[in-house]
Amino acid sequence: MNETINEKISVVTVYDQVQGLVIPKKVKWQGRVYEITKIGYHHKVKEGNKLLHIFAVSNDSIAFRLRLDTDNLHWTLEEISDGLAD
Amino acid sequence: MDLPINRNVPTIMHIDLNSCFATAEQQANPLLRDKPLCVAAYNSPNSCVISPSIEAKKLGIKVGMQVRDARLIYKNVIIRTPDPPKYRDIHQKFCKIFRDYSPNVTPKSIDEAVIDFNNVPAIKRGLVEIGREIKRRMRKEIGEWISCSIGIAPNRFLAKLGASLHKPDGLDVITYENLEEVYGKVNLIDLCGINTRFQARLNAYGISTPLEFLQAKCETLQHQVFKSICGYYWYLRLRGWEIDAVDFSRKSYGHQYALQRHTSDPQELYPMLMKLCEKTGRRLRRSENVAYGVHVSCVYNDHTYWHQSKTFRTPLYTTTDLYIKAILIFNNQPERKKVSQLAVSCFYLVPTEPEQLDLFYDLSSKKKKVSEATDKINDKYGEFVITPARMMGMKDTILDRVAFGGVKELEDLYGHS
Repeated sequence: MNETINEKISVVTVYDQVQGLVIPKKVKWQGRVYEITKIGYHHKVKEGNKLLHIFAVSNDSIAFRLRLDTDNLHWTLEEISDGLAD
Repeated sequence: MDLPINRNVPTIMHIDLNSCFATAEQQANPLLRDKPLCVAAYNSPNSCVISPSIEAKKLGIKVGMQVRDARLIYKNVIIRTPDPPKYRDIHQKFCKIFRDYSPNVTPKSIDEAVIDFNNVPAIKRGLVEIGREIKRRMRKEIGEWISCSIGIAPNRFLAKLGASLHKPDGLDVITYENLEEVYGKVNLIDLCGINTRFQARLNAYGISTPLEFLQAKCETLQHQVFKSICGYYWYLRLRGWEIDAVDFSRKSYGHQYALQRHTSDPQELYPMLMKLCEKTGRRLRRSENVAYGVHVSCVYNDHTYWHQSKTFRTPLYTTTDLYIKAILIFNNQPERKKVSQLAVSCFYLVPTEPEQLDLFYDLSSKKKKVSEATDKINDKYGEFVITPARMMGMKDTILDRVAFGGVKELEDLYGHS
């Protein structure tokens, strides 16, 4: 099931200088910490002049769609999914 | 006229992403992998399946099917709505990879491109080796779930046919040596450009297989079957001669919308028409053109179709200009039936400069300035931040979509990259 959330969240990231990548490692949402084991896809979206980074990340049981707003460096959890039909 | 089969070395590569939108969703979310998944226009029973995953295709779910029918085939099919920015990003990434091999890359749609290796040094390595490397690089640089089918041939038509022979993840070469063997394995409607109507027409002249199509005389195709120059083009195409390396220039801008809830109420349809005009107008202005014609079309819920176009003496530039003319045309419908699809386009495009200014009262210039100012605001803060009042309440209607099989919208994409 896919659910739209659109809530600000805390994210622990690592910057990999060799690959030149920012990698989300942990997500804290509704008081619970979720480990991230996989980055499915990362792409950029322009909203007017504002640049947003969209990270599709997951672990074995839940997938998150995260948005990093480069204007204010805020993270937003846009969607969650358990990979099952609605 | 007798022309032999093209015996030149294949230099054209056609690359087609397998189940592009569904694969992109599975790439982004690993929990969706190995599961029947469909990307549909909306997550509603009446909505149309745009892209079934490879797993869904194996169950018999096809493009164009309604979500309701897909669920009848497989109850737990996962439905996702499209994410155009993601698909455009994948498109840009794979085109970037292709340009490492040849400067002549032509996107054919959001998930297909043609690489022309004529006079390119990379060809010395061999196109099969390059094709394998492209597959590896797509998996490494875009995502491990991304696969593509590749066709290599002397012309675009055969390269596309080659890419369709073994899906998913195929790599096929068509040359003069195996051309007849390939034609022997496919049907007429497997050929790009031949659908049921052309098939029926070919059948009427005793051509029922691609091999018979290949063996047909040029005169038969030109003067009897197609009754036009198209018959000659088919004669060349089938023999591996290039006839499709044509870059069609932009003739119009337009948008269409499939209504979730069919209606005949003008108070509901006018704001949609305005939003279509706004989207059309934004692209028209970005291209620095004005239009002298507007076309409006409606598909009704009884599957009938009405359309009308008109040309005007005054140039159309602002959204309001387009909307007023679109309403004028829209109100010419002979009867008001429930609309299921609405489309607006503008044509007769002419560059905005140089411009003839009005000597006495220059209203058009003022309107143009207002339009350009609102465009600038939308460029800075995002689409539809400032809109005509007619569009109030339309925020979640007429969403961003990827044109089916179209490449024209990609001009905008490259314009902004």
